[in-house]
Amino acid sequence: MSLPHRRRWIRIVCMILIALLYIASVPWYRDDSAPLKLWLGLPDWVTVAVLCYVGVAILNAVAWSVTEVPDTTDSIADERGAAG
Amino acid sequence: MNFGVWGVVSLVVYLFALLAVAEFARRAKRDSSPSDHFLAGRSLGTFILFLTLYATAYSGNSLLGYPGRAYREGYSFIMATGFMMAIIVMFHVIVPRLRPLAVAGQFVTPGDYLRVRFSGSWAKPLRLAVAILMCLALANFLLAQLKAMGDVASVVTDGRISYPAAVIGLAAVILFYETRGGMRAVAWTDAAQGIVMLLGLAGLLGWLLTEAGGLTVITRAVAERRPSAVSVPTAIVCVNWFSTIALMGLASVLYPQAIQRIFAARSGRSLKRSFAAMTFMPLATTLVVTLIGVAAIARFDITNAIDTDEVVPMLLRDWGSAGGFSIWAAMLVFLGALSAIMSTADSCLLSLGSLLSRDLMGREGSDERATRLGKNLAAGILIATIPFALWRDLTLWRLIELKMELLIQCVPAFLIALHWSRLRAGPVFAGIVVGTLFSAGLSLSGVARLGGVHVGVVGCALNTLVAVLGSLRPIQAESSSDSPSLDGVGQPF
Repeated sequence: MSLPHRRRWIRIVCMILIALLYIASVPWYRDDSAPLKLWLGLPDWVTVAVLCYVGVAILNAVAWSVTEVPDTTDSIADERGAAG
Repeated sequence: MNFGVWGVVSLVVYLFALLAVAEFARRAKRDSSPSDHFLAGRSLGTFILFLTLYATAYSGNSLLGYPGRAYREGYSFIMATGFMMAIIVMFHVIVPRLRPLAVAGQFVTPGDYLRVRFSGSWAKPLRLAVAILMCLALANFLLAQLKAMGDVASVVTDGRISYPAAVIGLAAVILFYETRGGMRAVAWTDAAQGIVMLLGLAGLLGWLLTEAGGLTVITRAVAERRPSAVSVPTAIVCVNWFSTIALMGLASVLYPQAIQRIFAARSGRSLKRSFAAMTFMPLATTLVVTLIGVAAIARFDITNAIDTDEVVPMLLRDWGSAGGFSIWAAMLVFLGALSAIMSTADSCLLSLGSLLSRDLMGREGSDERATRLGKNLAAGILIATIPFALWRDLTLWRLIELKMELLIQCVPAFLIALHWSRLRAGPVFAGIVVGTLFSAGLSLSGVARLGGVHVGVVGCALNTLVAVLGSLRPIQAESSSDSPSLDGVGQPF
């Protein structure tokens, strides 16, 4: 697999994982009458959300590091060619 | 000397420092072209770019409005960390495509992209519609900053500087350095302001945690005082959480001042490095202000929603009144908050000037007259906004939502247009009209959400549907000019 292809796949995987972490960060799957449980000093559902956002930050930084931001329009055509 | 007097002294010292930076920026100017004034000659490297993005993104809303909202809502406002991060994620959609076009077309404003991307009889109405939405959103954003500046300065100086005097005086300082130094002055002051803001916030949270005896103690105290602030959110709050992430993530990438920083970067590499660093800033900033707002529940009993925007100034006053080192530390936070507000206000003003002159009035020249017109228009808007800032019956959070509901209607014109070559000006214009009428109409009649979803998000979905379905219709021979224009930018996107 060529380097541009590999980078493209890494970016796609990062984006999918980011989407999943966003879905997990919102406590829609929790019972809203559940008693308060603390974890790391925060309500447990808040800690889960924070950990999800830490994961998003790391994955997003990885995604940016493999993203090509070209300074010429020729590069867009090159990227399209590489992507097939 | 008491806290209020120290507030006045530190404010004066800080403002003189800003004016000095503006003077250096003025001397660094290469020429009087719009590109040099509004985009710093496209010379921003990674470090300055990162700090100016940071200082611009984290505004008075973030430092006053978010703690105020966290105070009202409790821990569920942790959603703010998510939506601030979603903005940096969403930039993936536009930066790699827009940057090369901006370099090739020497774009100064977002409207320059639309000029290149769309042609035909509906292209001009589309550019005007987008420019009007962006100007309204920016004016709204500027208004929120003016209100926040007045709040911080009057509270921290213990009323020695009144709210109206603070609004008018600080607006005058911003106008002065923005007019003198343009984007360079804005970016350099943003950089200094970004550093002060980070240090200040870390200090305030550290004090709160130390004084209260740790996060666990704070959470238990909040649970005792207001159990709903720590309980698992209801289904409607969860829907609103998703909706807010969509609203803020989609709309914030369309801030004209953010788009202009894509144009102002020295290189694509500088941009991607800046965004990679920016992705961690919600953890260092939004998470911190949310915790500060929640911690305030255990300290204050505020019943009026408008007054909750003053949670941070009230905490600063408490902290500073302890005397000794606390005064200095509180002053640092005060300057950090003021920095955040002023850096966003100056960016808004600079963008407003360029949008009004180029996109609304069609002055696309690259000479000094075009720059001067932009400066004069910005000054006019600032002066016109001040009376509204003196009217205080609106929370900062509601101002943020109103702005986003307008900005999100520009999604098809940028986010979809960059990736789909069939999108045409006519349907995009029709979509903007439908989406804006729907969301602004409901919003003005007092309906902010439908089943927990922001009316702006619903309006954007309708808008996108109209734009996409309209563009899928076969192009008639007589309206074939209403097709994407790609002159000078190479291959279709």
